[in-house]
Amino acid sequence: MKRGLAIVFALILVLALVPGLAAQKKVTVWCWDPAFNIYSMKQAAAVYAKSHPDFQLDVVEIPDAEITTKITAGLQAGGQGLPDIYLCQDFRLEQTLQDYPKGFVDLKAAGIDFAKFAAYKVGPMTVGKGVYGIPFDTGSTGLWLRADYLKAAGLKPESYQKAMTWSEVMKLGEIVKAKTGKPLIAYENDSFDTLRIMVQSAGGQFFDDKGNLAIRTDVVKKSLEILKQCYDKGLFYTSEGWGNWVSSINNDQAAGFLNAIWMIGTVKSKPENKGKWMVVPTPKLEGIKGASNASNNGGSSWLVCAQGPNKDLAIDFLKGSWASSSPDALEFYNTILKGCGAMGTFLPSQKGSNYTAKDEFFYGNQAVYKDFAAWMANVPALRYTPNYQTMRTALFNATLLYFQGKIKTIDEAITAAENEYKQTVSQ
Amino acid sequence: MNKRGPYYRYLNRFGWLCVAPAMVFFTCFMLYPILSSLYYVTRKWRGATDSFVGLGNFVRMANDRIFQQAVGHNFVYMAIQIPLMIFLALILAVILNQGIGRLRGVFRTVFFLPCVTSLVACAVLFKILLQTNGLLNNLLISGLILKEPISWLGTPFWANVAIILAMTWRWTGYNMVFFLVGLQNIDTEIYEAAEVDGATKRLQFFKITMPLLVPVILFSAVTSTSGTMQLFDEPNILTTQGGPANATMTASLYIYRQAFVINSDFGYATAMSYVVVLIAGVFAYAQMRLLGNKERKL
Repeated sequence: MKRGLAIVFALILVLALVPGLAAQKKVTVWCWDPAFNIYSMKQAAAVYAKSHPDFQLDVVEIPDAEITTKITAGLQAGGQGLPDIYLCQDFRLEQTLQDYPKGFVDLKAAGIDFAKFAAYKVGPMTVGKGVYGIPFDTGSTGLWLRADYLKAAGLKPESYQKAMTWSEVMKLGEIVKAKTGKPLIAYENDSFDTLRIMVQSAGGQFFDDKGNLAIRTDVVKKSLEILKQCYDKGLFYTSEGWGNWVSSINNDQAAGFLNAIWMIGTVKSKPENKGKWMVVPTPKLEGIKGASNASNNGGSSWLVCAQGPNKDLAIDFLKGSWASSSPDALEFYNTILKGCGAMGTFLPSQKGSNYTAKDEFFYGNQAVYKDFAAWMANVPALRYTPNYQTMRTALFNATLLYFQGKIKTIDEAITAAENEYKQTVSQ
Repeated sequence: MNKRGPYYRYLNRFGWLCVAPAMVFFTCFMLYPILSSLYYVTRKWRGATDSFVGLGNFVRMANDRIFQQAVGHNFVYMAIQIPLMIFLALILAVILNQGIGRLRGVFRTVFFLPCVTSLVACAVLFKILLQTNGLLNNLLISGLILKEPISWLGTPFWANVAIILAMTWRWTGYNMVFFLVGLQNIDTEIYEAAEVDGATKRLQFFKITMPLLVPVILFSAVTSTSGTMQLFDEPNILTTQGGPANATMTASLYIYRQAFVINSDFGYATAMSYVVVLIAGVFAYAQMRLLGNKERKL
């Protein structure tokens, strides 16, 4: 009787293990935006599936912040429950690779030629001789304006389709606010995007070349000064959290916003706004050396988990799609550019027809992709370091308190940010 | 009895068999984590690497203003939200118990419903309602109560009000149910006697209902205190990770952020958890003592 039971238990165990042993042709991917990176990944899968008909891709939608926590939990648990591929924000790359040196696959060793990718994207994911990811998109920025509100304020939209300084933009904002009551810029209180775009537009940094915090600079001070002026003049429509910020844009609460090309999918998700949006160059910080009318924000990259269930297939899939120069792959890059505003950083792909295409969604059928690509050419790279995330939280917290008058001067705001940074990192 | 010896009951095999599964789970999921956390407390972690720091995590905590403020926020919610909620729950319970006749069941369900819905759903709902152009602001403006919308989630003061609102909305009905049960155990003869003596309804509430419900009130206070010490979802979602500018950061949220979001520092997070458990324990002990005394008096 006892032996019989033992056999039954052993059988159950074996049966439970069998599906785990059987090889699966399925790759699991975690990323966060159905209108953007999920869409792009599915297009990539279609390219690979042409030559590998039994290939299956399982894209799981998880919010960006939760991906980080789930990956952290999985790596801490010795690799349990991890996907094969996940999308990592570029500013988190160095932190992730430093914290978990064995967590991800060296794709250079796996045979991918990284000379074909934009160098500024490959930098943060390089550790020693290895490169631990596939660059996805670029975040070339612009000032997005609603031509219909400019018209309502009695202005000609065409005369603002030019490189402007911040004081010109503030003047424009005051007119629009006075005539239409709309603040010019939708601003997210708990986001670092606007400040980062401003600082990077002048070639500024938040860390020195040794990786120490260095935010007491002229660029940061000037940016905070301009932000505060905009806030005091009522040129910002403020909101909290990404969702509320996006809804303030698509619910016409503001006449524009400052952010990157990847917002195309979001603004297009409101078809009623067709023909109303235009994008002009990022405003320039006057009086700062190296100031320009271009910047970068966001951008993310695909990492392959070393403990993922199907990592070999995942590597082959990335090689055959995102890192492939085949006509199919290049056409795929061309498709996602217009399809959702994903401007790839695979250099051979940047000659696609959509780079010069006009887009009828925009005011005057603006060739936005051409503009964003042209602005991108001159943007200096930002140094992220493993503590970027802590720095940005500390800095946007201090900025908000400075806006609301709870911190009186810019110097005190920077001190507050430095203190919060030190306390959180404690190194 | 004596033949079996004093330890006989410890040798009951069937008894052991019955508790064995529970013991196994307890050892795996309670005892082992608690014991291993004693080791984590002495380490500084950064992802996959960790090093010995001894009591360094506690020194760090003593200098960490964000953590201290976070615990302070927990205390503020305890001091304001719990009395407010208990008072509201009591009033609702009395009204339901006396005033409303046939619709009592409906109202009871309506008030109880918030606490069975998902915390995340509640927080998201409040976040939408409290947007600058959200329903609440629009109602207040069209009702001429406000001229300018309130930035509920963007200013530290109003964000704290929002958290307290959300917590009160969620838990008032839950505590009300306890009070309703308590009220049904109060003998109606006491009220009749009071009425004969000429006591008003208000006097009856403060002199009879409240004192007789003290054990239930204390029970609610104890459970709410430990719940408030663990407050996490509302500041994480409703006010976006303890914002604005850490104004609604709570101890649990900061612990979670140190472990999973910003530093992967599980050692420091564990050390902070010990302090929070200690604080919650002290509160619980104090309230239990209070509860014990009152019960003896009654």
